[in-house]
Amino acid sequence: MLTHLGIEPERLQFSWISSAESTKFIDVVTEVVEAVRKVGPNTRLVKNMVREP
Amino acid sequence: MRILQIDKKDWSAGLEKSRKDYTLMGPVKEGNNVSKFKELAAGEEPDFSITTTTMSPKSVVFPQSEVMFTFTTDSASADCNIMKVPEKSYSPRAVIGIRPFDAVAMKIVKMNFDTPDYQDPYWCDAYAACTFIGLAITDPEACDFSTSTGTGPFDTSGLDVLLVDAGDYYLAEVVTDKGDSWIQSASFDQEADAESVEILHSMRKEAKKKIESTVEFANIDKKETLDLYNEKYWDSISFPCLNCGTCTYVCPTCWCFDIQDEMAHKNGRRMKNWDSCMFPNFTIHTTGHNPRNTKLMRVRQRFMHKLKYHQSKYNMGIMCVGCGRCVTSCPVNIDIREVCKQMNS
Amino acid sequence: MHTYIDKIREIASRLLKEEAVEMVIGYQEGTLPMISPPMSVRSAEDVEKLTWSSHCCINLANYLTDIKGKVAVFAKGCDCRSIVNHIAEGKVKREDVVIIGVPCNGMMERRTISNIFGDEIEEVVEEADGTVIVRGKGREEKYQKSDILRQCCRVCVHKNPVLYDELVADPVAIPEDIQRYKEVEKIEAREIDKRWKFFENLISTCIRCYACRDACPTCYCPTCFVDEAQPQWVGKGDDEPDVMTFHILRAFHTAGRCTDCGACVSACPMGINMRAFTKKLEKDCLDLWDWEAGLTSDMRPALETFTPSDPEDNFK
Repeated sequence: MLTHLGIEPERLQFSWISSAESTKFIDVVTEVVEAVRKVGPNTRLVKNMVREP
Repeated sequence: MRILQIDKKDWSAGLEKSRKDYTLMGPVKEGNNVSKFKELAAGEEPDFSITTTTMSPKSVVFPQSEVMFTFTTDSASADCNIMKVPEKSYSPRAVIGIRPFDAVAMKIVKMNFDTPDYQDPYWCDAYAACTFIGLAITDPEACDFSTSTGTGPFDTSGLDVLLVDAGDYYLAEVVTDKGDSWIQSASFDQEADAESVEILHSMRKEAKKKIESTVEFANIDKKETLDLYNEKYWDSISFPCLNCGTCTYVCPTCWCFDIQDEMAHKNGRRMKNWDSCMFPNFTIHTTGHNPRNTKLMRVRQRFMHKLKYHQSKYNMGIMCVGCGRCVTSCPVNIDIREVCKQMNS
Repeated sequence: MHTYIDKIREIASRLLKEEAVEMVIGYQEGTLPMISPPMSVRSAEDVEKLTWSSHCCINLANYLTDIKGKVAVFAKGCDCRSIVNHIAEGKVKREDVVIIGVPCNGMMERRTISNIFGDEIEEVVEEADGTVIVRGKGREEKYQKSDILRQCCRVCVHKNPVLYDELVADPVAIPEDIQRYKEVEKIEAREIDKRWKFFENLISTCIRCYACRDACPTCYCPTCFVDEAQPQWVGKGDDEPDVMTFHILRAFHTAGRCTDCGACVSACPMGINMRAFTKKLEKDCLDLWDWEAGLTSDMRPALETFTPSDPEDNFK
């Protein structure tokens, strides 16, 4: 649904990883972090504590 | 009483000229054909085709969300635990196109925020910065019942100038010195001739006649509070109510607010947001007890406040200017005029 | 419509006289054109106030939660499914509610009519052939009901009540070629950045009145997440991230339970089509789990259960 709203799909990803699958964990985490880095810092749904007057 | 004539072809230029001394605010359309008052961007003009804006101009002095102060709890900061009021500009603002009933509503709300003992600086400073350039209602809408609430389509109470759309020109009744200052800033200086003054008077009469919707509330004042409170009709009146905040948010005389802190790690701000007596948690106590924990109690309270308590306390009529917004916006058509009729019977 | 009204009053009168129920929930004439608000009737002599029209936009199932005693409710297709959802979730007991089903050909949005007509409206009259005559400010215009139906009604495939004790009229026909999710597909066709802009614009006039939430039969939490202060999940002001979060999360809470009755849109004082959030979730429930809300009271809604065979194509 978040993708439907316009939140880039790279930002929310799912994977089943057992605690015994350490290699898979490393691979998935690296992949996701790279993907999010590519999309850049998120600006949507970010609360800015400084309000415009 | 000074009345000026402003040719419509001179209007835009005058408006622009006044921008050097005033921030202009006025009604604009947005979204799905709804409207509200906001600051007019360069070149933007107030939309006079809107008779009753969806949201009232109360937001000009009483915004839906306002930062009261900011603070940090970070002990490493020099400002730790110091409450800082944000820099806010209270430079003069001209609210152009406000309707008479909304200006009267501001005066009603002022009784709460500007008292002999306490003045709310946020509201009072904003109100003092405003010059209200009103626009008379020449074509009242069906739900306008302002003539029976103590005001009317051409009322000047609460206004600094009253504009009347007379076809090719506006007539401008200058009510106060503040209004005169704006007129001078806009360089409008053509005095209206006697004929035009006559036209204004007859337009005023015509507009009042067009209003067919009325309310009567003299009996409500005479009745005992507890008798009204214990009436059986509250059950059927309150049944359809959704307890949303629509009526209170669109109402120009409603002014309740909630104070909430918002934190981001060690930085925070205290917010003042509109609140509504319709919301279930409006009266919840820190113990968890809620004295108005049923819909019937809340609905009854709203109408008692508007039509009975306010009059009992101030003896200045009901806490309603007859703008009709609650009637047209209520999702379930709860009609204050009908409730008033029942309470008054 | 007129034959509906007589039958509605007859049934209500009978149920109250027989003391089968303590209260009947239906609709009444509004004090304004184009709105027939909900009402409750407790005595047979008041049944004449009950009516039916193409402006019965509020979902009456909303009034059933925490009801005391036995009640009767007039339920059109979508409202009826909401009642079934209530029963499935244990909010209402089947034996406490007498459902009088009303087959429905759709309701009209008063805002849509106002926007098309342009001037202040004094009267709206619906003819038997589906023409709608709108009068106001000395003018008169004719429209086809099908052109001014509510969006949710245009894509409705559940016009007839699925669960009832009595029917007010014969079931109505349901067209074969309804494209249920064309609004969702339109958004899906946009690229990501444009979608966000679309939703930002959509909620830009939201005033956090919560009429949508309060009109929704699935929203019955004793304390809604937006009203919580400790912890404060969502800011209570008009900051865009907070307004957006409210709508996103509320839509999520209704997923698999929303029957697209459109009461949220009809209730909104700003005319916001927040169905753009919920319709996508409705489509997903159908695509992923073949689930539609309110068709059976035997199963808990989609997001409360799982099966090992649930699709996981998007999992790494």
